[in-house]
Formats: sequence, C-alpha cells, structure tokens
Amino acid sequence: MIKVTVEKEKNRVKKITIAGHANYEEYGKDIVCSSVSSIVITTVNGIIEICPDYLVVQEGKDQMVIQIQKEDEICEKLIHNMISLLEELSINYPKNMIVK
Amino acid sequence: MKRLVLNIQYFAHHKGQGSTSNGRDSAGRRLGAKVGDGQFVTAGSIIYRQRGTRIFPGNNVGRGNDDTLYAKVAGIVKFERVGRDKKQASVYAVVEE
Repeated sequence: MIKVTVEKEKNRVKKITIAGHANYEEYGKDIVCSSVSSIVITTVNGIIEICPDYLVVQEGKDQMVIQIQKEDEICEKLIHNMISLLEELSINYPKNMIVK
Repeated sequence: MKRLVLNIQYFAHHKGQGSTSNGRDSAGRRLGAKVGDGQFVTAGSIIYRQRGTRIFPGNNVGRGNDDTLYAKVAGIVKFERVGRDKKQASVYAVVEE
C-alpha cells in the first residue's frame, strides 16, 4: 500500500511523504502505481519549471519526500491539486493507497 | 532542484523482489512394473511396485506391506484382467518336461 502523508504548518503544506508499493499488479502493470508516480512527478517537474527553489525532493528506497522551502501562490495551488488528485485516487483504490 | 525522471512504476513492487515458498518436490519413487508379462522370475522377485492395489496379487503372488507384489514361486509372470476393471498379476510355475 502507498501511504501519502501530508504535514502542514499554520495550514500550509510543509512536507509530503509518499512511501510504499501499490501492490495492485505486478511490476510494469500496476496502474495505481503509475497514476501516483505520474501525478507526483508531473507536479514536481512543473513546480521546478515555475519556481526551482520552491521545493526539495529526497528520493529514498521505496519513498519520496517533498519538502516545501518557501511560499509561492501558484506552486501552492499545484501542490493542493496534486494532493486532491491523490485523495481521489485513494477513494477509488482504498486497498492500494491512503492519504493522511 | 533537478527535474525528476518520469518512471511511472516508481511506486510499484520492484521486479525480482518477490519470492515463492513453493519449489520443493520429493524424488520419484520409481513405481510400476519391474517385470514384463511372460517373463520368467525367481521366487521372491518383485513384480510390481505400487501405492494401494492398482494391480491385485493373483496365483503364487504375494503382497508386501507397501502393496508391492512379489513372486512366491519361480515361474512365468502373467498380468490378467479380473472382472470389469481390475487387474491381477500371477506367476505360473514352469512344468519340467
């Protein structure tokens, strides 16, 4: 199961941790994993285009940690959009991912 | 901050990590006929190795406690049909002329 943990400070997203495996299907056919990967990577790369130092990404074994470094209205909207998409996905695939 | 590579299986279970608890099997028990029909055997020779009585003991044939059929006397082995769907193995002593 993929666990998405969103940490906020003063109602602002400060850190997002995405860890685990979707285990929906075997490697190469896991549509839940590919959705999560696409949503997250598209958002991160989009933000890097707009505001390169808005966030820092640490890639670990089976996990990705996104640290928000500063405030930017557009980037924040992109982050909220990512989180809402992941929440929507977790509703459709409750056994494979969860957003906390 | 460097762009991320789009690996759409980033959060998938990586290949080769899985393991299986199967993959064991015992050695073959080499069951079945040890002598052909019409073949001469000496007393005590094993005729048929089996689990349960796929073939029943007939004339001059004994059954061991593991259901192995063996010859009680020297003679020629005969596999015979018994009833509709049963078989038996018999040994017929060779008559000296």
